[in-house]
Parts: sequence; C-alpha cells; structure tokens
Amino acid sequence: MALPKRIIKETERLMAEPVPGISAVPHEDNLRYFDVSIHGPSQSPYEGGIFKLELFLPEDYPMTPPKIRFLTKIYHPNIDKLGRICLDVLKSNWSPALQIRTILLSIQALLGAPNPDDPLANDVAQRWKEDQEAAIQTAREWTKTHAMT
Amino acid sequence: MDIDVRPRKKRRFFVDDPEDVADPQVSTSSVTATSRPASATSSTREQRSSQTEVHDIQPLPSPAFDADTFRTVIGEDVGQDVVNQIQAAAHGDIERAINIYFDGSWKKSASAASSAQRPPPSKGVDKWLATSEGSSSASIAPEQRNDAGTVPTRARVHSMPNERYVGSFGVAAWMTKSGANLLAHGEAVRIERSKIAPRTKLGRGGKLVPIVGRNQKADVITRFTNSRGEELGRLPEETAAWVSSLVDQKICRFEGTCVYAPDRVRVNDTVYLQVRAYFLKTAFEASAFVKSKDDNRATGFFEEKENSEEKDLRLRQVALIKLFEEVNLNPTSTNETTAKHKKQGLLRAAEMAEQYDKEKDSKGKSGVSTPNSEEEEEGEELEEDQLDALYQKARSFDFDTPEAEPVSTFALDLRKYQKQALHWMLAKERDETSSKQQSMHPLWEEYVWPTKDANDVSLPTVEGQDKFYVNLYSGEIGLEFPVQEQNCLGGILADEMGLGKTIEIYSLIHSNRSDIDLQAAGKPVASVNHLPRLPQSSTSVEPAPCTTLVVAPMSLLAQWESEAVKCSNPGTLRTMVYYGSEKTANLQVLCSAANAASAPNVIITSYGTVLSEFGQVTAAGGDRGSNGGLFSVEFHRVILDEAHTIKNRQAKTSKACYELKAKHRWVLTGTPIVNRLEDLFSLVRFLKVEPWSNFSYWKTFITVPFESKEIARALNVVQTVLEPLVLRRTKDMKTPEGEALVPLPPKSIVVEEVELSKTEREVYDLIFTRAKRAFNESVQAGTLLKSYTTIFAQILRLRQSCCHPVLTRNKDLVADEEDAAVAAAADANGFADDMDLQDLIDRFTQDTNLAGKDQAAEKDPITTFTTHALRQIQDESGGECPLCYEEPMLNPAVTTCWHSACKDCLERLISHQTDKGEVPRCFSCRETINPRDVFEVVKHNSPSASFDTEGDMYSADGAASKPPKISLRRIHPYSPTASTSAKIAALLKHLSALPRGAKSVVFSQFTAFLDLIAPQLSKHGFQHLRFDGTMSQKVRAQVIRAFNADNASDPKAPRILLLSLRAGGVGLNLTAANHCYMMDPWWSFAVEAQAIDRVHRMGQTQDVEVVRFVTKDSIEGRMLRVQERKMAVAGSLGVGQSGAGGTEEERRKRRVEELEMLLG
Repeated sequence: MALPKRIIKETERLMAEPVPGISAVPHEDNLRYFDVSIHGPSQSPYEGGIFKLELFLPEDYPMTPPKIRFLTKIYHPNIDKLGRICLDVLKSNWSPALQIRTILLSIQALLGAPNPDDPLANDVAQRWKEDQEAAIQTAREWTKTHAMT
Repeated sequence: MDIDVRPRKKRRFFVDDPEDVADPQVSTSSVTATSRPASATSSTREQRSSQTEVHDIQPLPSPAFDADTFRTVIGEDVGQDVVNQIQAAAHGDIERAINIYFDGSWKKSASAASSAQRPPPSKGVDKWLATSEGSSSASIAPEQRNDAGTVPTRARVHSMPNERYVGSFGVAAWMTKSGANLLAHGEAVRIERSKIAPRTKLGRGGKLVPIVGRNQKADVITRFTNSRGEELGRLPEETAAWVSSLVDQKICRFEGTCVYAPDRVRVNDTVYLQVRAYFLKTAFEASAFVKSKDDNRATGFFEEKENSEEKDLRLRQVALIKLFEEVNLNPTSTNETTAKHKKQGLLRAAEMAEQYDKEKDSKGKSGVSTPNSEEEEEGEELEEDQLDALYQKARSFDFDTPEAEPVSTFALDLRKYQKQALHWMLAKERDETSSKQQSMHPLWEEYVWPTKDANDVSLPTVEGQDKFYVNLYSGEIGLEFPVQEQNCLGGILADEMGLGKTIEIYSLIHSNRSDIDLQAAGKPVASVNHLPRLPQSSTSVEPAPCTTLVVAPMSLLAQWESEAVKCSNPGTLRTMVYYGSEKTANLQVLCSAANAASAPNVIITSYGTVLSEFGQVTAAGGDRGSNGGLFSVEFHRVILDEAHTIKNRQAKTSKACYELKAKHRWVLTGTPIVNRLEDLFSLVRFLKVEPWSNFSYWKTFITVPFESKEIARALNVVQTVLEPLVLRRTKDMKTPEGEALVPLPPKSIVVEEVELSKTEREVYDLIFTRAKRAFNESVQAGTLLKSYTTIFAQILRLRQSCCHPVLTRNKDLVADEEDAAVAAAADANGFADDMDLQDLIDRFTQDTNLAGKDQAAEKDPITTFTTHALRQIQDESGGECPLCYEEPMLNPAVTTCWHSACKDCLERLISHQTDKGEVPRCFSCRETINPRDVFEVVKHNSPSASFDTEGDMYSADGAASKPPKISLRRIHPYSPTASTSAKIAALLKHLSALPRGAKSVVFSQFTAFLDLIAPQLSKHGFQHLRFDGTMSQKVRAQVIRAFNADNASDPKAPRILLLSLRAGGVGLNLTAANHCYMMDPWWSFAVEAQAIDRVHRMGQTQDVEVVRFVTKDSIEGRMLRVQERKMAVAGSLGVGQSGAGGTEEERRKRRVEELEMLLG
C-alpha cells in the first residue's frame, strides 16, 4: 500500500521544521509508525523530562485520528498506566484538518495543563483534586525516575 | 373461301406481297368492292375495325395448287391456259392464284415489267449492273466513323437504281372532288405532298375545319392526283401520317393505282387505291448524312440541332415500321434479343415523345429545347430500393473469379479482390475475338428485296444486292451488311470508394500495354541520327498506342500523378499532367507510335480541359487534328474518373467525352447511377456499348417501360446491361471466410466495471430485493412464465438503476423534485444547484459594503472571510487541500462555510462522519455541514477542466483575455436529473482522457439515460450531438453529416455523438469516430456488435477502442453471462439470435433459464 501524499508531506515537514521540544521520527520499515519524544513543558511537574511516545497513523488517516500512547511512565490525571491519553482532539473532536504536529502540540499542552475533571487515570485524578501539591510532587518524582534517564 | 379464316390483317384489300396472298380475305374483299352486295363490304369494314390490334399473326401455309379447286373458288370456268398462266404467276400457291385472278393482274403480267412501277429505263439495269461491286467495301471513305461496317459504301450505293420497289399496300382514300368519271379502275395516280401548308383543312363531313393548335410540322396531308396533276383526293390520315414522313424525308416514292372508284364520285367518297412504295436511292445515300443525326455516332460537333433531328428520326422510325408492316415485309434476319419488343417499343417511345412535344407546345414553349443546358435532365428519379435492386446483379460478385498478377513493373502488392479486378479488366480489354465473327449489328435488320411485285411481276434485280438493311433505331437504311462492332473493350469499374479503384486501374495500365509500347520498351531511346519519322501534323486522327488518357476532376489530378509514382517501379511509367500551361505539347507528335519509346504512358487531364478543347475543335468546324490536342489522337485507353460527372448526356462535358477516341474505354465511379436510369446511359454511351449506346434504343427498352410503370421490366433490362459491364464491390462485402475485403484496423473491447455510489447502491439493492422476492415467489408457485413480464419489468428497473437511479423513478415524482430545485434556486437566501461564482462574490461584497456604511467599525468578519474565500477560489489560489495535502486541490469543493478541500476528500469526510452516526462537521471550523450544501467548483471554457489533464491549453488563450467563468455546483443537487451517476462519471473520465480531436460515440438503449448524460457533457464543456428514433430522417442525416464532418481544427465542433442503440445501431457510417462507449449491455451481444460496427467498418483508419460499462456486482454482470450463452447457442445452431430459432417450447425454456441466471 502506497503511502498517501499527506503522510509523506507531514513527515517531510516535521523533519524540515521541527517543533521545539518535540520530535517525531518514522520507522524505516513502517512509515506510519513514529517514535515521538516530547520535552516536558517548563514550569510543569514534567519539566526536564523527555517523554517517549509511539504514534501510529491508521489506514484511514486522516479520517480517523492517529493512535498515540505514552511509552514513558508518567503521572498525569489524563494519562493512564498504559500510556493512553485522554484528549478530545484525539477522539470526538478530531478533524482531518488536524495533523501530527498539532496533535503533539496538544499533548505537550496537556502536560502543562492537566485536566482532572475529565480523568482517565481515576486514582491520579482523585489525588490531584484532593492534594494537588502531593500529586504534583509525585509527578515530579516520576519524571525524575522515568523521564530523565 | 372460308369466312372463318378472315381475321388476319387489317385493312388489306389488295395483294401486295407473295406471302400475303395466303390471306384469302384479301382477294374476296377486293372482289366485293365490285361484284358482291354492299352488305359484304360492310362486314369487311367491321372486321377491319375489330382487327386493328392484330398485327403480326403469321400467314397460314398455302395449300398446294389444284386447278379444280381454283375453278370452284372463282366460280368461273376459265381456260386451262389461263389457269396455267396464273398458276405460274402464283408459284403454285392457290390462294395467291385466286387473288391474282381477281385483281386481274395476270392479264398484264407480260407487260408489267415495262410499266410505270419499274425503275425508269434511263437508269437501266444494265447500267448499274455494270458497276463493279467488288470495289466497294474495302475503300471505306475516311469520314467513316468507328462503326465502319454499318455504313453502305458509296460504291455500292452508286450501283443502286434511283429507286427500288419494296412493296405495295391497299388504302381506302377519300375524294376531295366530285364528278363523274374522275377516276377509273386501273388508272394510275400520283401520291404527292402538298407544297402549301393549308390554314384550314376539309373535315370528313366536307366542312372547312380551321387548323387550331397544331403546328406546321403536324401537317401530314398527302394527296393523290391524276396524271394531269389535279388533286382528286387524299390519303386517310392514319396512312398519310407515315407516308408523308417518308416522302418528306426523301426515303420513299409512292405511286398509286386506282382499284375501285364509283363511276360517279362525290366529295368524301371512298376510293380504293393500291399504292406501291419505292425506296429512293437518296435514302441510301443519305445514310452518311442521316448518321450524323443519329445521336450516338454523330461527330457531335454540331449537335445544336439535335432536337429537331431527333424528331425527324422519330417520324422516320415510325414511318418505316408502318411501311414494313403495310407491305408485310418481314426481316429475314434480326437480333434475337431485340426482336421481341422492338417495333412496338419503338412505336410507343415515339408516341410518348410526341405527347411530350404536344405538352410542351401547349405550354407555349418552343419545340426546340436547349440541348446544352446542364440542368435539364430527363427521366424519373429512381427510388432507393430500385437502385439497390439494380446493383444487386452487379454486386453478386464471385469470390472465386480468377486473379491476375500485375506485371513486374507494378510496384505495389494487390489485394486479392484487386487482382480479380485486374483479371476482369484484362479480360474485357482483350475480348477482341468475338468481333472477328461477322455477326450482324444488333440494331439492324436484314430484308430481302422483293423479287416480284404485287401483281407478281418479276422485278429487276441488282447483282449482289438482293438484301437491304434497316436500323429502325437510327432510321438508317443500308445496302452493306452491318457488321457488329467490336465489343466495348472496357467497362465500368464501380468499386465503392476506398477499395482502390485508382490502384486497380494503374495495375491495368501496367499490365496491358499495346504491342507497340511493349516493343518500344525493349529498345533504348532512339539516337539522334536514328530519329523516328514523326507524322506530319495533319487533320486526321493519329494513333497514340502507348498512351492512356485519364480524365479526372481537377482536384484529383495531383493524386493521380502521385499514385502513378507510388505504384510504379522507377522509370517504368511516364506520366504527364495535361492541364493549363502544361498543355503546350502536340500530342500527335508526342504520343505517336514512332515516338513510342518516349511517349507518355499516362496523360492526366481534367474534365475542364476536355471541354475547352472540345470547344476549340467545334469552333474549327470539327477539325480534330490541327491543334494537336486531346481530340487529335486515338489513345490506347481512356479513363474517366468520377465518371458520374458526365451523367447528363445533354451536358457539353459529356458530349466532349464521348468524342475522345480510344481503343479501350473505362469509367470509374462509385455511383454509376446517381438517381436516374439515364445516368447510366451516358456512361454506356461513352463506352460505346452496342446497342445500348443508341439513345433511341435505350429509350425504347428502358426509359419508356420505366416511365410507363413497367418498372420491373426496365430494371431487368438495365441489369442485363450492367451485368457484363460493371464490376462493383462494396466495402460491406465479405469474403467467403467472412473477412472484410479490406482488413480493418484493430479494435479493442474493454469491459469496465463501474462501482455504484452509495446512494445508487441503495436504490439498486432495494429494487433487486424486490425482484428477487418476486422471482422466488413465482418459482415456488411454479408460475415463472406467467409472471415473466412482471419480473422482466423489474429486471428492466434493475438495469436502469445501474445507469442512473432517476431512470427507475416515477416521472411525476422526479418532476416534482425538479420543481423544488428550481424553487430553492429562486430563494435569495438559499443556494441554487448551480451558481456563478462572480455573482456570489458580488452578493457578499454588496453585503460587506452595506455593512460598512451602516457600522463602519464592526465589519462582519464572517462576510469578510467569505468574500476572501470566494476570491481565493476564483484566483485558483486555494492552496493545498487540508485533508490530503494535494496542491492544488483536485476538483475543489466548498462548504457553505466556504472552506474548501478536494471534492473527494470532503465527500469522504462527510460519509465517514455520517457512517459513524455523527453529524457531519466542517473539518476546519467544525460548523455542521448539510451534505447537500457542498459545492464543487467548476471552471468553464475548458472541456476537461474538472479532470485537468490538458485544460490549460485552452485557458492559455481563453483565460488571458477574460477570467474563466466559474460556477459552484451542488455535488448532490436537489434536482434529481441534474445529478450524475457512477456510469456518467466513468464516461466523463474516459472522454476527458481522450486526445483533442478524437471523436466518440456513446450508445445507450435508454434514451432517457442519454437525456441525463447530455447535460453532464455540456456541464463539462463537451460539445455533443444526439441521434435517436424520434428524429426525422432529415434531421438524422444532418446530425450524421455534422458529426462526420472533417473539423479537426475547430475546437468548438461536436466530437461526441449520443445514440440510442436501437435507432443508431444499424446502417450508419460513423467512421469519423474511433472511440465507442456502450453505456449498458443489451441482451445479445450481436446487437451491441452491430452498433460497434458503425464505427469499426470500412473507411475506419484508426484503431478503435470500445469500452463497455458494466456495473460491478449487478445484474449487468449476469447479463454478460447470458450474452455469452446466447453466442454459444447461436454458434451451435447457426442462427443469429436466440429468439430466431427453436420452437416456442424451447424458447420458453431458454427464457426461464435466463431468468435463473439473472436472479437465481
């Protein structure tokens, strides 16, 4: 199956004009599969960490959104233990006009602004609401442990 | 004598001819006049009137002479010496003897020889016998035309007495004087023509009848006078009619003897005369002159008088026939083929001509028409089917006829049928053997001069002149045996256009050269001191034995010349174009036998040149030789190309061509008969085919029967004329192996599967389920055949839905929705199905301006954006598609929030969202999208804009001057018929991919589908034409002409023809196209193949591509399988279509099987 022009163009553009703090590199054997790393935003509990994600563009991309998952363990109310992300643009609010770059930016933004009201990891969200300080502390620790090696 | 045997001859009162004495009535009636009661006479008269139709009953064989019987019959006891005398005079024929006795001629027999009936003694027998007869035939005078044998030589005529008895006949004349003893039995009277044309004539009742409405020429009054020259009376009009012609035209002299006249006569009394007819010597001498009147053999340079001459000829024909009939002189030898209807035919032709003349006169026209007017054509037009029937014969071409290989100097390879043509042409040209036999010319009849006169008096004979010859068709009389001219050594090559007539003729030119030419070819060109003796340029016609003259329309001269080069090995054929400034050469010198080694083999000239040289020769008084032109030589061969140019025999060009001299004469034409039988005559006349080249003959056997509605007979004759003369093959002809004569360029047939769109599929599935249910139900109920029609109707719906869902819908519903669409367009706030972008921009700009005026500060940002977006669309700067990143967008489409993307992307997005049960939203602003409110952007003035393969070539000139018109068109229009369908889209895709100038035909069996295709073609800028069964013949012809027109350079010319399969499948020639699209399959492929053959047939020069659109996973696929099955069945049964063969039972079975294949 030939790679759609859109994916080729997106990849080329990601390579040519990378977004600061984000990188996405396709696998040579599967150009729909990307290794992604996102720098934790400054002034966030994830600052200093480099988070690895995997991104897969499904067959009917861009009609359906890319599948994306954190590989690096992260303590975040919208990201569960398996690394799955709760983000509207990855689900109901996906539009084919969106792209890899904009999705990754959204994820980076999500790290800077956790939304415990729409949780995926219930325990994390619970704690985030009850004791935000402690939760942020745990997040920092997790970052240090998992994202800074 | 037995009264029962009387009905024999009309009005034959007197003995006139030995054979005729066999008629007993003759003698009896002559006796009645004197001795029998009046009642007998009247009964004779009755007989006469009732017998007028009986002309040619053969005389009964005469009983042998018996003296007793003789005495019994005459009722007198005559002396034995008298009986012996009479017996001798009657040659033992009793009937004749009785006649001789009663008419008293036996008494005079001894003195008869010196009587007035004999030629004047001054030109005594001895004198003309003395003239040697042997010196005659060889010394044929130079003025003799190519039909030498038919002309009596001067020498022989010279030996003829001034006049010679041909026979006598009885006539009941009437008196114009009254008195006693004016005329007595046995008194000689003179038969004279009146010199003065009387203004009045005496009616039968003795009244003066003014002559009204008859012109001078109708004057036929013939008087008889006594020896003092006093008029006594006149011949009855029916006799006078022809006697006058013969006297006027100096063919005959007549003299009479009174047989019976009452002692006292009154005006209008009947007297009986015996009239003796003599052929005048002048009639034979006149032959040469008469000849020039004959429309066929005339030198033709003075044919302006033709019409009056034709009239004279007609009168002469009739008069001669009547004369021979009256004197009962039958030809001893005549041509079998012509004998049958000859005389009657001639008479009828003459009658018709006379009527025609009268009509003309009554219309106030002069009797002389304008013989040179090119427009004037005679003859009725032929119906199409009659023409077909005519060609039938010539067309029955045998594929097994022998072939001939062209000689080695001919450079091209001939196809099989061309080699057959060569063989045929060679055979025609070499057919000289038959002329060696001295057979009589078919138009002539041989007569024996009577040796005894009516009174059984021996007539003087002339040694070597016991016979004379008459050509009733030309009115000629001759003493010389009319030799059948050599057959026409040529013919009509009437192969249809495109089969290579030119090549065939060149192969003939190469392969049948004259002997002189062949000898010359072996020798090198003569050296200077060995110069051939060139003929003096003389007034005579010189042979040009190496030269073929080709006469062609001017536009084809160059082609003939270039073909000559193509088909000849270098140096083997010398050609010369004889036209305009190039015609300085003296052809007599150039083409002479002496110059054979360098004479041109082919001279190519135009009809115009022939005509103009003809004019010069005419102006020079028929002096052919002096200007050294086309008419000064006798060519080896002359060929008329596009010979229907001379179809009008009255046209000067035609007359000019007739006068070209050549040994072999050929005409080439694809249409030997354009629309009249006379068209063919002109060709035949050019070819000099005897006897048909004689117009009088032609008229007798063809024109007259045809015009008097004996069409079958006329056509039959024409077929016989055509058959030996014409070689005609058509492009449709197939070899016995079923191959075309000329192999066609290859054709490819591709079945293209078309996938239905979702909505189309839904419609299809719905109908399919219904049909399937009906089918299953009737299968279970066992009523499949009964409900066949119902199911068949549903299958029809299915097939229609494969083409376009609208086809299956109720027409009223469709119309309602159509109205709704119009209403939507009318709504100012709504969007029409089809909007002009500029209008839309204007609309929004106006809003902006209004808003700007009212609230300058708050310009509506949405309106601003809209305007901007629309402008972007207009400027084609819409950029890349946000969905597929294609740049520029493929087939851009916009939402009502004016976000644009590729049409396909947008459609895919909408369907993706609706499939998930979501409300479709804009990919950009997440505004909800009404799937109906998506518009595609269509650029006009480029036929292939939407597929953008080569549209730029147009816009290069079009767009520069003014911005292209752009319209926004709803992808799913409210109007149901405005929407496209999968098949239409597939068709458009194919059409757009075609190279510029390529022409296509689109077949569908549903004219309603064509109705839907047409607007889509227009939308995409394809000019197209339409052909279906509802159109009149005239309109159809116009459409086909417009489509086939050669208009490659005109970008606006229509290149697509929409045809209904049934109306356009048969007969049409659409070879201008080489792409063929079959929108829907028919039950049998044969019908489709027929349609495809409209394009893939003779004349097609390019490869033909056929695409058959078949909807994927539908009944159409199954139909293809039914087609295959039918083809297999047809193949095994040898029948064309499945419906044709088998019993009702078998057909039913087959139908059920087919249904099972379709729905099972």
